[in-house]
Amino acid sequence: MLLFTILFPILAGVAASVRPMPRRTRLQCYAAVMLLTDAFAVWCMLYAPPVRLFALTETLDFHFALDAIGCVFLSVVLLVYTAACFYAFEYMSGQEREEAFFTFYFASLGAVMSACMAGNLVTFYFCFELATLSSMPLVLHEGTKEAISAALKYLFYSIGGALLGLLAVVCLFWYGADANQFAAGGFLDAGRAAGHESLLRAVVFFGIVGFGAKAGMYPLHGWLPAAHPIAPAPASALLSGVIAKMGVLGVIRLVYFSAGAALVRGTWVQYTWMCLAMGTIFMGSMMAFREKVMKKRLAYSSISQISYIMLGLSLLNAGGLTGGLLHFAAHAVSKGTLFLCAGVFIHKLGRREASRLRGVGQLMPVTMWCFLIASLSLVGIPPLGGFASKWYLSVSAVANGMGVFSILPPVILLVSAFLTAGYLLPVAVDAFFPGRGFSVKQEFGDCPDVQKRLPASTGKTKKQKAVSLNGAAEPSAFMTVPLVALCAAALCVGLCGSWFAEALGGVIRGLV
Amino acid sequence: MDFIRNFPLFTIILSLFSSVLCMLLDGRWAKRYTVCYECLLIALSGAVLWYVSATGEPFTYVMGEFPAPWGNEIRAGVLEALLAVVFLTVLLCSVLGGWRFLLIDVEHSKINLYFTLINLLTAALMALIWTNDIFTGYVFLEILTLSSCGILIVREIGRTTLAAVRYMVLNLLGSGLFLLGVILLYSLTGHLLMVPMRAAILEIVAAEGGVTTITFSLAVLTIGLGIKSGLFPFHFWMPDTYGTATPTSAAILSALASKAYILLLFKIYWRVVGIEVFQQLPIHYLLFGLGILGMIFGSVSAIRENNIHRMVAFSSAAQTGYIYMGLGMGSPLGYVAALFQLIAHAVTKSLLFLTTPRLARVSGDSLLFQNLQGSGFRDRSAGIFFTLCALSMVGIPVFAGFSAKLFFAVAAVESGELGVLFPTMLALAVSAVLNALYFIRTVIRIYTAGRGGSEISAPRIYAEEHNDADSAEPLPELETRSERRSYWVSALILTGMNLFLGLFSWVAVDFIRRGLDMFA
Repeated sequence: MLLFTILFPILAGVAASVRPMPRRTRLQCYAAVMLLTDAFAVWCMLYAPPVRLFALTETLDFHFALDAIGCVFLSVVLLVYTAACFYAFEYMSGQEREEAFFTFYFASLGAVMSACMAGNLVTFYFCFELATLSSMPLVLHEGTKEAISAALKYLFYSIGGALLGLLAVVCLFWYGADANQFAAGGFLDAGRAAGHESLLRAVVFFGIVGFGAKAGMYPLHGWLPAAHPIAPAPASALLSGVIAKMGVLGVIRLVYFSAGAALVRGTWVQYTWMCLAMGTIFMGSMMAFREKVMKKRLAYSSISQISYIMLGLSLLNAGGLTGGLLHFAAHAVSKGTLFLCAGVFIHKLGRREASRLRGVGQLMPVTMWCFLIASLSLVGIPPLGGFASKWYLSVSAVANGMGVFSILPPVILLVSAFLTAGYLLPVAVDAFFPGRGFSVKQEFGDCPDVQKRLPASTGKTKKQKAVSLNGAAEPSAFMTVPLVALCAAALCVGLCGSWFAEALGGVIRGLV
Repeated sequence: MDFIRNFPLFTIILSLFSSVLCMLLDGRWAKRYTVCYECLLIALSGAVLWYVSATGEPFTYVMGEFPAPWGNEIRAGVLEALLAVVFLTVLLCSVLGGWRFLLIDVEHSKINLYFTLINLLTAALMALIWTNDIFTGYVFLEILTLSSCGILIVREIGRTTLAAVRYMVLNLLGSGLFLLGVILLYSLTGHLLMVPMRAAILEIVAAEGGVTTITFSLAVLTIGLGIKSGLFPFHFWMPDTYGTATPTSAAILSALASKAYILLLFKIYWRVVGIEVFQQLPIHYLLFGLGILGMIFGSVSAIRENNIHRMVAFSSAAQTGYIYMGLGMGSPLGYVAALFQLIAHAVTKSLLFLTTPRLARVSGDSLLFQNLQGSGFRDRSAGIFFTLCALSMVGIPVFAGFSAKLFFAVAAVESGELGVLFPTMLALAVSAVLNALYFIRTVIRIYTAGRGGSEISAPRIYAEEHNDADSAEPLPELETRSERRSYWVSALILTGMNLFLGLFSWVAVDFIRRGLDMFA
C-alpha cells in the first residue's frame, strides 16, 4: 500500500501528461490524481504495514514504514501540494510546457511522500536524492539562463550536502547495532561506539550541515534565494513550504532516530548547531529586509524561518522539538500562502517588485487579506500559527538552562520577528491604504482586467458614472480557494496550538 | 566436470585463432563470427565461474605439465572468472552498439581487419586476467597495447593518427617501465611465476635486506602501469585518444583496456608482493593521494571542456582516480570497493561512449555542446540512455555509481584512520558535486531546445558541410533497423547490468569478496 501510494502519483502524472487530450480533460485528470493520492495517503496513515522491497546487504534492506513523525510531515506535505495543485490550474494556463510541469509536480510529490515514509536511513537518503532530482525540473521550468544556473546551483548544494549526510550515515552504520530501522533515541551500539564518540559527534555535525543545506541553513544556504523565486509560483510554494523541509526531516532522522540526542547534548555540536541556526535566522531576516523583489524577499524569509525549526531541533528537549514541528506546519502553510499570493500578483498584474503593489488591496481584496493573515502568522501575532510555535521555542530555550544559550534564542526570535514585520507588513498596509492622491485607475491602467472594467469611450463624457474597481483583478476560485484554505490552516495551527502540542508530545515521546 | 579447467586456456588460444580467421573473412561475416564467438567465450567463462564457485577453491592450470619453476601457469578463481564474464559482455555490447559507426568510420575493406584486432585484444585481455606468470603478463600487455593502437588508428582521420601515435609512445614508455620493474624483481627473486616470486620476496622482507629495491621496482611498475591506465599526472592522453576514436574503440579502450592494466597491477600487489607486505610499503599512500588528485583534477578538466566526447574521456580519468584511491586505502574493503568501481565504470563508461556519438549524429556530427542542444529530443533513446549513465556517474542511488561511492565511504570508515577517512569523504563529496556539474549540465543541455531545435537533420547538415569541400562525398545512409536494434540490445544489457550493480550490489560484492579470498 505504501509503495502503491508513492508510485501512483508518479505514474499517473506521467500517464495523464503523455496522452493527447484537451486541456480541460487533462486538468480533470490531474485533479483526480491529486485527490486520489490524498485519499491513498490518508489510508496509509490510518493503516499500512511496512513494505520491504529488497535487500541492499545482509543486514540492510530497502523498506518503507510510516511512523508518527512521518505522518506529521506527510499530512502537511499533502495539504500544501493539494492547494498548490489547484492553484496551478489557473496559474499555468496559457504557459508553455504545462504538461511537463505537472509531470514533475506529481513526480516530486511521490518522491517527497516516499521520503516521509522511508523506514531506514539508506532508504531516506535515496528518497531524499530522488526528491531533489524530481523537483529540479520545477526550478528549471522557465528555461532561461538564470533558471538553468539556479537549478544547477540547487542540485550541487543538495547533492553535496546529501553526501556530507551520507558520511554520517555510513559512520553510524558502522557503529550501529541494528541500523536497519529507525529507533527512537538512536540505534548506536554502546559497546562498539565506546571510544569513538568524538568521531561520531564530528560526523553527526557534518550530517546536520549537509542535510541543513536543503533547509537553507548557513553555511550551505546560497542556493535557496536563487532557486526558490525562479520557479513558477506554485512550485515556489512547494519548494519553500515542503521540499526544503525534507532537510529538516533528514536532521530529525539523523539526530533523534539514529545517533540519539544523548550523543549530541551539551557538546560542541549542539552549541555550534544553535549558533548556526541563530545566525541564519538573523541573516535571513536582514537579507529579506533589504530585498526588493517580492518572491526573492520571501525566499530569504524562508531561510530565516526554516532555521527557527532548526533552532527548535537543536535545543534537544521536548519543548524545542514540539515548537520546531509546530513551526514546520505553521511556516509551510503561511509561506505557501505568501508565495501563492506573490504568484497572483505576477499572474494578474505582472508585478514582481514589492514597492509596486501599492493599492492592490482594492483590486484583489481576498488575495490581499490572505497575504495579510499569512504575514501576521509569520511575524507571530496570536492567535495565528507562528505565535504558538515561537512561544514553545522561547519557553523551552529558557527552560534549557544553558547560560547564555538559553537567553539568546528568545532575543534573536524577537529581533527577527520585528524584522519580519518590517519586510512583510508594509506591503500589506500599502496595498490597503495606498495613501492620499493615489489613483488605482492610473497605477493599474495597463492591466487587462482593470481595462475591462473601465469604460471604452474616452473624451467628451466628462461626468460618467464612477466605475467601481473593487475586486476587479481578483483571480478565479481556483486561486482564491486554495489561498483561503491555507490561511485557515494557519489560523487552525494557532488556535489549536496547545492541542497540537499535546498530540506532538505523544509523537516525540522517547526521542529526547 | 574437470574438463572446465581447460576453458581459461581455450579463451586465450581460440581468440588468437579467431583473429587469424577474421583476416580471411569478409567484413560483415567477421562481425557475425565475432559476435557469436564472444557469446561462446562468455559461456566458457561463465562455466569457469560456476565451477570455481561450486568447488569453492581456485585451480591452477599447468601448461604442458611442466612443474612450477619452469612451466607457465594459468590460475582461475571467482574474481578472475567474474571479471572475464563482465569484460567479455562489455566487449560484446561495445561491438554491437558501435556497429553503425564502425561502418561509417572504417573503410569497408578493412572492417575484417578491425575484427582481427578485436579478437587479438580479447586474447590479450583474457591472458591478463588468467595468467599467473609475470612475463606472460608483459607479453600480452604489449599485445594489448598494439591492438589498442590498431583499433584506434583504424579511423583514418588526421587527428586520430596523431592521437594514436601519442598513445603508442606513452604506452611504450609505460611498457618499458613495466619491463624494468619485472627485470628488477626477477633479479631479486630469480623467478617469473608469481607464487615462487612471492615466497622469495617474503624471505627478503623477513631478512630486511632488499626492501628498498622491492619498493623501487614496485614504484617503477606502478608508474608504468599508471601511465597506461591514466593515473593522475599521466591522464592527459585520454581526451585525445578516446575523443577521436570510433565509438566501439573508445568504449573498449576506456572500459576494458585501461582496466586490464589496473588489474595486472592489482595482481602484482596481491600475488607477487603479497598484500601484507604491500601495505607496509609507502607506495599505497602515493596511490591514495594520486587517486584523489585524479578524481578532482579529472573532473575539473572535464568541466572546462566544450566537446562532449572529450568531457566523457576526462571523466574516465576521474573514475580511474576512484579505483586508485581504493587500492591505496589499505583496508580490505577498499580493494573490494576498487574492484566494484572497476566493474561499475566499465559498464557505465562503455555505454556513454556508445551513446554520445548518436547524440552528435542528430546534431550534424558535431560534438560541441552548443550544437547538441535539443539532441535528446531528436534521438530519444540516446537521450534517455545518456541521462541514465549520467545519473550513475554522479552517484544517484539505484545506479552502480552510487553503490561504488557507498563502498568507498564504508571502506574509509572501516580503515579507522582519520587520515584516510576525512580525505576520502571530502574527495567523494567534492568529486560528486563536480561530476554533477558537468554531467547534469550536459543532460540539461541536450534537453533544452537550442539552435535549429528539432528541425536539424543530420544528413542535411552533413551535406551542407561537405558539399563545398568534397562534392563526391556520399550522403551517409540512414540507420537501418538492424543497426538500431543492435544498439538497443547492447544499451539495454549495459543498463541492466548497471541497475543490477546498483540494486543488488551485495551479490557482486559477495563474489568479489570470495574472489579476493582465493586470489592471493
